[in-house]
Amino acid sequence: MSENELSSLVVKEGKKGGAEDVAATCVTEDVKMIRFANNEITVSKAWLLSTINFMIVFKKRVAIASITDLSEGSIKKAVHSLLEIAKSTKPNREYERLPRGPFNYISNPTSESIQTSRLVEYTKDAINGALSIGAKRVAGTLLFNNINTKIETSTGASGYDIGSSLEISVRAFTNSEASGQANQCARRERDFFPSKAGQAAAEIAKEASNPVEGKPGKYNVILGPNVFANLINEVISATSAFNVDSGLSFLKGMLGKRVASSSLTLIDDGTITDGINSRAFDDEGVPTRRTEIIKDGILRSYLHNSSTAKKFKSSSTGNAGWIVPQPWNIIINKGHDDFQNLLSELDDGLYVTNNWYTRFQDYRAGDFSTVCRDGLFKIKKGKIDQSIKGLRISDNMPRMLRNIHLLSSKQNWIKWWEVETPTLTPHALIKNVNLTKSLM
Amino acid sequence: MEDLAQSAVNYSTSLGSTYAEARVQKDLGNSTVMKNGKPQFSGFLREAGIGIRLIINGSLGFASTNNLTQEGIKDTILSAASMARFAAASMKKPIKLSNLKINRAKWEVKQRHKFGSIDVEKKIKLLQNIDKLFRIKSDVKFPSRILSINENLREQIFLNSEGTYITSKVPRVSFLYFMTAYKPSKGTAQRFNKKAESSGWEAILSWDLTEFVSQEINVLASILTKAKRPPRDKTDVILGSEVTGIVCHESCGHPFEADRILGREAAAAGESFVNMKMLGKRIGSKTVNIIDDPTIPSSYGYYLYDDEGVQASRRELIKEGIINEFLHNRETSAELGIQSNGAARAISYDREPIIRMSNTYMDKGDYNQQELFKAISKGVYIKSFMEWNIDDRRYNQRYVGLEAYFIKNGEPKYLIRNPVIEMTTPSLFKSIDAVGKDISFSAATCGKGDPQQGVPVWTGGPDIRLRNVKIGEA
Repeated sequence: MSENELSSLVVKEGKKGGAEDVAATCVTEDVKMIRFANNEITVSKAWLLSTINFMIVFKKRVAIASITDLSEGSIKKAVHSLLEIAKSTKPNREYERLPRGPFNYISNPTSESIQTSRLVEYTKDAINGALSIGAKRVAGTLLFNNINTKIETSTGASGYDIGSSLEISVRAFTNSEASGQANQCARRERDFFPSKAGQAAAEIAKEASNPVEGKPGKYNVILGPNVFANLINEVISATSAFNVDSGLSFLKGMLGKRVASSSLTLIDDGTITDGINSRAFDDEGVPTRRTEIIKDGILRSYLHNSSTAKKFKSSSTGNAGWIVPQPWNIIINKGHDDFQNLLSELDDGLYVTNNWYTRFQDYRAGDFSTVCRDGLFKIKKGKIDQSIKGLRISDNMPRMLRNIHLLSSKQNWIKWWEVETPTLTPHALIKNVNLTKSLM
Repeated sequence: MEDLAQSAVNYSTSLGSTYAEARVQKDLGNSTVMKNGKPQFSGFLREAGIGIRLIINGSLGFASTNNLTQEGIKDTILSAASMARFAAASMKKPIKLSNLKINRAKWEVKQRHKFGSIDVEKKIKLLQNIDKLFRIKSDVKFPSRILSINENLREQIFLNSEGTYITSKVPRVSFLYFMTAYKPSKGTAQRFNKKAESSGWEAILSWDLTEFVSQEINVLASILTKAKRPPRDKTDVILGSEVTGIVCHESCGHPFEADRILGREAAAAGESFVNMKMLGKRIGSKTVNIIDDPTIPSSYGYYLYDDEGVQASRRELIKEGIINEFLHNRETSAELGIQSNGAARAISYDREPIIRMSNTYMDKGDYNQQELFKAISKGVYIKSFMEWNIDDRRYNQRYVGLEAYFIKNGEPKYLIRNPVIEMTTPSLFKSIDAVGKDISFSAATCGKGDPQQGVPVWTGGPDIRLRNVKIGEA
């Protein structure tokens, strides 16, 4: 059976069984990955996966399933099992009926195939790019994704989306304590330059050689694109209406209010041509769109599916998730200053190029910390003064957002292990950031 | 299923692979989630697929598909083999696996209540009863709470080109909760936690969840309303089992993973401050003994054979303060010329087996709780935590206490808010002077690998005492 027929079968069987709403997505993935470390390829991976995910609602009773056996008999059996579960669960009074289609989707097919030998070549380009700058060891991951998604709902939505993307994340070392990380991601092969990621990672690693222990305290700090993207992913997560309602957000009750300095404008966009997570429709079949989340520092919108929109007396933003609204691609508007101007603002500050392990003590209050990783530099009188190590940002997210001072005029697309949603981001200069370190 | 696994191995070797293995895996999962007292959804996952590893011209390939037909499996293998062959041309050092005796075994975790035998109505009733507990008579409210109950069953056939053949069946159950306590004049306090075992529904019954959550609610309300600022000077510290467990996991288990030490995970999960030459060197006081043991019955990280077919064993990572053993798979052990100690795990058929912890804990010492406290004139007891992190070499860590007390003259006196331990791994292990007798475990999901693999683990140990620790405040 084709993907069209599979999702139609789910909807047909669900309706036949008395469901008031049925939505089905059939996702087919052709994925290849090359991982490398110590300048060598460590493993080459290939996946061919197909999954049907479906939601069945019976008198506001919501049930969700995911299956991989796509035979007709198995699908029918799974639909009937899920119907039984839906009938025996309790109503979710917050559930809102699926939006009525049909919808017109903007077609944005950017699916490309790629030779496996080319992937190996790209990996070598990245490694050699880093070595050519002076890296001693290079590690990373190259990923090629080709994903087809078919959606059908009982309320008349029907759509098909195809997309491919290339990503590489490179970490270069000049010694075990001096490293840099950079990445590249693109919808089209012609926009993909893995050697540049290798070179950029090695440039940071070279600068990071011979780090000394950093001193804790409050600093004016430039966050590199990796770091700002990681923190803004947390901010966007806090705008998902489900999270707002669950205590997982420091932005509850802040709609229409100032939540950041006027420098910050945040957009979620599922339609952008070069966004590697763009898709024509969300999981309810609603066309994706461009949504201003924060405009000039004022919180304008949460991310919604139909049910959260009903609860918040709003309308869907095309970000369903049947339960949890999800972002597509995050865009942080650029500023007016080049990186050198940002540096020149710092008399005695820090430049953080990467981070990991962001964890919250209290999501509602926004208290968190994140560990600085790879190149970390002390800035004196507008210039890099010294490579340092051992610091973590231990601060409060609302306070940091209010303290955003400048954003650079150049943006980079970031997606890697620590940045789940692709994010187009500038560098950010944030004032009075609290840095801590091991006390013994 | 066995036929598919065998033909996948045969096909891989016919392409020139010197080694091939196949894991055919079926995963069943049932979940029920409640938010703020309202059922959100119930549902299931039914997955089956195959993961194949092969070594071709010294290069490692991994192929996975859920199209369980001969053609689907061959297409995927061909794709991975092709990449591995291209990669081999530029490799200076061929990948080798350490020797493995041929194992043929069947292992299973028995369930008293079979997977799927508890209906959804009963699960919702349980969650509703738990949710009612949040209506306490207090000026502290619990406006946000998420409760979730999950059961899983994993069945697997593993076989390789050397003749090893293992079948297994493991049920797991878990209960997750996230709650926010709120009082207008005090703000919020939050707790996320889970309980989990490799077991059938009987584990859920044994946890007495209403009593357990009731206590958690009262503690969080007290933290919000009563906790005072922690001391800021050097003081003695007792870490409760929950915190001891995360310390053992983050600061011993992870840096002792041989793939990190050898740099294979450098790009994402990171490396280690430990190197191979540190075997036999002191890292902690003589009281420190840290174990990783997959064979603890009903533990969340339980297995008897790893996902390379190696028999599982108890690993003494730190023995009396000395670095004693690292966690290995067949690749890292071959590099050192030793045998694997069975630490290769894959969370799903579509993930490559890599080195993982199982149940990592500090072994028991000689002290009862009263003795641990008695010798402290002024100190801090940190029983649980929320925020934590550690750098990617596993050297600088931070744990922010949640339920924590000020100790005076050997007794916990009052709650303190958000005490911070931020210290290096050697400093932490060297500052331990006494270890309790009573071990308990916490359930966690450990992240590593690319793509990410969250594997079920237990972390644990007894209460432990640290001397002269500088406390920070979040």
